[in-house]
Amino acid sequence: MSHTQESGGRRLDRRRFLTTAAIGGATIVGASALGGLDAEAAFAEPMPSLDAAIPAAFAEGRIVAMNRNVLDVAGSHGERHLIQLTNATSIWKLRTTTAEAIEVGDGLYARGAAMPDGTIAADAVWVNIVNVYVTIRGIAKDRLHLTHGNDELVGRIVPDTTTASYLGGALTADLSRTRIGQEAQVLGAWRPADGSIDIARVSLGH
Amino acid sequence: MACGSTSLWAGEATWFCCGNAWGSCGSAGTGACGTCQSSKNMAAWPNLSAACWDITRPDLCGENMPRRTCGAVVNVRHQCSGAAVCVTLADCGPRTKSFCGESACCNGACRTNRVIDLTPAAFTAIGSLSSGKLPVYIYE
Repeated sequence: MSHTQESGGRRLDRRRFLTTAAIGGATIVGASALGGLDAEAAFAEPMPSLDAAIPAAFAEGRIVAMNRNVLDVAGSHGERHLIQLTNATSIWKLRTTTAEAIEVGDGLYARGAAMPDGTIAADAVWVNIVNVYVTIRGIAKDRLHLTHGNDELVGRIVPDTTTASYLGGALTADLSRTRIGQEAQVLGAWRPADGSIDIARVSLGH
Repeated sequence: MACGSTSLWAGEATWFCCGNAWGSCGSAGTGACGTCQSSKNMAAWPNLSAACWDITRPDLCGENMPRRTCGAVVNVRHQCSGAAVCVTLADCGPRTKSFCGESACCNGACRTNRVIDLTPAAFTAIGSLSSGKLPVYIYE
């Protein structure tokens, strides 16, 4: 899939589009103009920086404040990030979503371009995403009880969202083949309020 | 040592978190090498040590991967896009044996079995965290 397009006779790549959007404000078209509406599409191709002055950037941490489209993020190692969202930013929070779904207190991983003013213009933001190796300890209609290392964890089954993959097979909404004692990988969205996880996908092992 | 271009392995890359972090990652620690951080370009390798091998057992999936130890660097390249990231080995993983036969595909070409686990910083350099896995070539 290509994420470039012709614009006024000039080839426009996603990173150039993004940084232009971040500098110029919100007077931009949607990410669909670049052919990518979700975070996966946004990174399907290499994204060279515009030039050496605009290097790629990554940020991790908890959101401590939000001011319009800027996220103030406290990194886990004491650093601070200001992450600028634009109409071209792909946002994931259990599913592909919009900036309105982001809340103070959420954790995130963000990828984008480092701007001259120290902010990060985000290509993609994954909010509360976790990907944990677990053992299934209990099964209920609306949740799985899991152990992650020495910790107990609740994985919430979200109707119309949670899928499963058995032994590397295709994704299915059928969770009836989960078994107690099974090892699994759970990709989902962490809930800061109680530490549980909304399950996007559970991959069941042997 | 810099990342090289000599082919080392190919397979499925997954991602994990380590070091100080939020959410369920908070208890993960800094990994088998004591240096792992989610915000750095790092990776876990199934044959980091004999003890690591006993946990991951990639051979049970037909992957007899060579020993590479803490601090080794490898270049991980997305099979389809060509996007690449240079990572430092900092932990033991993934648990290849638990997911034998699992594959990641793009454009109809697939790589099978989990052979490397990338930190979020490294994984996002070549793909999307929400995909959970990517088909990759690994060089050193």
